[in-house]
Amino acid sequence: MRTFLLSIALFISAVCAAQVPSVTVENVKGESFDTKALLKEGTPMIVSFWSTSCKPCIRELDAIYDALPDWLEEADFRVVAVSTDDSRLLAKAKSFAEGRGWGEDYTLLFDKNQDFMRAMNVSVVPHVFVLDGKGKIVYSHTSYVPGNELELFEAIKKCSK
Amino acid sequence: MKKILALSILAAVSFSLSAQERGYLTGSFESNDHFYVADEGNKFTPDDDRFGSNNYLKLDYYNGNFSAGLQLESYMPAIIGYPDDLNKYALSNMYVNWKDEDFQITAGTFYDQFGSGLLFRSWEDRLLGLNNAVMGARFAYNWDDKIAFKALWGTPRLGMEFSDTQVRGADLSVSLANIIGLDDIVLSVEGSVLNRYSRISIDAEEAGGKPNTYGWSGRLNFDYDGFFVKGEYVDLGKKLVALTPKRGNAQLVEMGYNGRGLGVTLTGRRLEWMGQKISTNSLSSANLISYVPAMSTQYTYMLTTLHPYNPQVGDESTFSFNSGEIGGQLDAFYNFRRGTSLGGKRGMKVHANFSTYYTLAQEGTAQAGNLLFRDFSFDLEKQWTKEFKMVILYSMQEYNPTYGNYKTTWLSNIFVADLLYKWTPRFSTRLELQYLTTHEDKKDWMAALLEVNFAPHWSVWASDMYNHGMTKVHYYNAGVSYTKGRTRLAAGYGRYKDGFICSGGVCRQIPQYTGANFSITTSF
Repeated sequence: MRTFLLSIALFISAVCAAQVPSVTVENVKGESFDTKALLKEGTPMIVSFWSTSCKPCIRELDAIYDALPDWLEEADFRVVAVSTDDSRLLAKAKSFAEGRGWGEDYTLLFDKNQDFMRAMNVSVVPHVFVLDGKGKIVYSHTSYVPGNELELFEAIKKCSK
Repeated sequence: MKKILALSILAAVSFSLSAQERGYLTGSFESNDHFYVADEGNKFTPDDDRFGSNNYLKLDYYNGNFSAGLQLESYMPAIIGYPDDLNKYALSNMYVNWKDEDFQITAGTFYDQFGSGLLFRSWEDRLLGLNNAVMGARFAYNWDDKIAFKALWGTPRLGMEFSDTQVRGADLSVSLANIIGLDDIVLSVEGSVLNRYSRISIDAEEAGGKPNTYGWSGRLNFDYDGFFVKGEYVDLGKKLVALTPKRGNAQLVEMGYNGRGLGVTLTGRRLEWMGQKISTNSLSSANLISYVPAMSTQYTYMLTTLHPYNPQVGDESTFSFNSGEIGGQLDAFYNFRRGTSLGGKRGMKVHANFSTYYTLAQEGTAQAGNLLFRDFSFDLEKQWTKEFKMVILYSMQEYNPTYGNYKTTWLSNIFVADLLYKWTPRFSTRLELQYLTTHEDKKDWMAALLEVNFAPHWSVWASDMYNHGMTKVHYYNAGVSYTKGRTRLAAGYGRYKDGFICSGGVCRQIPQYTGANFSITTSF
C-alpha cells in the first residue's frame, strides 16, 4: 500500500496542470458536442456543473447571470453551464434553462450520463471551474453560498490580464 | 482479469509518460462517516459497531487522446440504509481509454447508456450506493456527425464484485438531417440491441425461462426552432416473472417548446414488465440494468419529499405485483423579463408541474387502472431587492399507499417559503418555512430551516421537522460546513426519519437513525 501511495505522489509531481478532456456531451438541440471544442475560441471561461434538483447550483448560476453585464464590461469571457441531469430530467433541464433566460448568455451543455462530470472529477454539484484561454484550470470551487461568485470574477480578471 | 488490466494500465501510463507530453493527473476523494447514537424518541438502537463509513478515491490520468484511471472504494462498514452487499474494500473501477475525433475504445470498466437508458444504462450514484459499471470493452465510432455507432460487452458490477451476468449490446444513431444537409433541423433515427446472458435455475428452465434474453429499442429525435419531439420504443424480450414468461416493453414520448423565455415539456410513458436486473438472486436496490426512473418533480424541500414517487416498473420484487404503469407529466417554465409589468425591475420566474400515473388496468393494453401518484405544483421566484430573494412553492400530492393494489389514495397539501437575505456581499441568511396538511397518514407536519452563510468558506444551519398532527416527534438537524476551493468539510448531528432517499428518480429505502455525521469531498 505504501509503495502504491508513493507511486501516486511521484506521479502527481511528474505531471502538468489539469485541463479539459475530450468528452462527448449534448448541446441544447440534442446534438453531440465534443468538450474540446470549448477551447476553440481561446477566451477564459467559467464552467459550472449544475442540476435541476440542486438549489445552490441554480442560485450560483442566477447570481452570475445577474452580474454578467457588469463583469463583461471589465473582462472578456464566457459561461458554460453543464447540466448533469440524466435522461429522466434532460428535457426538463432544457426547459428550465430557457425559463431562466440562461440560453441567451450561457453555452448550455447536457451531460446525461455524467461522463464530463466524472472526467473533471466532480463528485458533487455545484462545482465551478475557471479556465484560462488555453483551457488550463486556474480556479475551482465546490458548493455555493451567496458571495462565492465574487471569487470567480477575481479569477477571471487574473486570466484576462 | 483485474491483474491483467492493472498491469496494462501501468504499462500504458509508463509508455505515455516516456513520450514528450507528460499529460496530467486528476482525482477526487470522498468520505462520508456516521456515528450512531441510541435514541428512544426515534425508536432507534444502533448496532454494537456504531460507525458507518463510505469512502471513494478516484484517479484519472490524461495524455492527449489517451486516458486511464481507477477507483478505490471502502465501506467500513457501509453507512445505514446502503445495500448490504457493499462491504470492506475493492479496487472497483479501472480502465484504459483512447479517444480521438472519430474513434473511442475502452478496456476495463465503463459507464454508458442506450437512449434514455430504459434498455440499458450503467452509471454510478453514490447517494444510492449504486454502481453498475460494466467490466469489459467498448468501441465507438462517429462518422462526421452523420452516423454514430457503439458496441460494448462486459459483466456489470453488483455489490463489490463483477457479476456472472454478461451484457452485449450495440447502438446506432443516424442523423438524417445532417446526411441530407438540413442545417437548422435535428432529425435522427436511432436503435439499440442488447443481449443479456445469465445462468438460470432448473425451475426457471422448466417454466420456459432462457439464459439468453434479447432486447431492442427504436428511437426518433426531432428538433426545429425550439420545438422538439422524442420517441422511444423498448422491447426487453421475454423473461420470467414469478415463473411466468412476460415480455418487457416500454413507450416514451417527450415533446415541447423552448424559446422566448418559455420552456414547456410534455412527457408520456407506459411501462410493462420493465424490471431488468443484473442477477435474479439479489434483492439489492443497485441490482439494475434498465434505468426506469420516476418521471415527476424531484423535490428537495423536507416536507415535499416525505412520499416520493416510486415507479411501478413491473417486477416481482417490487412492493406489489403490478405489471407496470402509465402516465405523464407537463412542465412549464416562464421567465417574466426585467422591465415588464409582472417582471418588475429584476424579473420573475414561475414554474408549474402536473404529473399523474396509474397502474395498467390490463396487461398488453394502455388502459389506466388505479391511481398511483398525482402531483400538481407551482413555484414562483422573485428577487424583490438587491438583497432579498423569495421562492414560494405549493404542491398537492396524492399517492397510493398500497402501490396500486387498492383504490385508496392519500392527499396532502404542502406550502413552502424560501427566503434569502444578503446582509452584505458575503454574509447572507436563508430561511425555509414549510407546512404540510393532510387528513390521512400521520396528519399535519411543519418544518423550518435556518442557514447562515459567511462566503466564501463557512455555512452553519439548523432545521427541525415536526409532526404535530399525530406522533409529536421532532426530527432536528444542525451542522456546519467549511469550503476552501475544491475541498468541503461538513459535520452535523441529527435525527433522521425512515423513508426513501431518491436521486435521479431512483429511490432506496432507509431506516430511521440518529447520530453525528462527517463528510469530506475534495478533488485535484
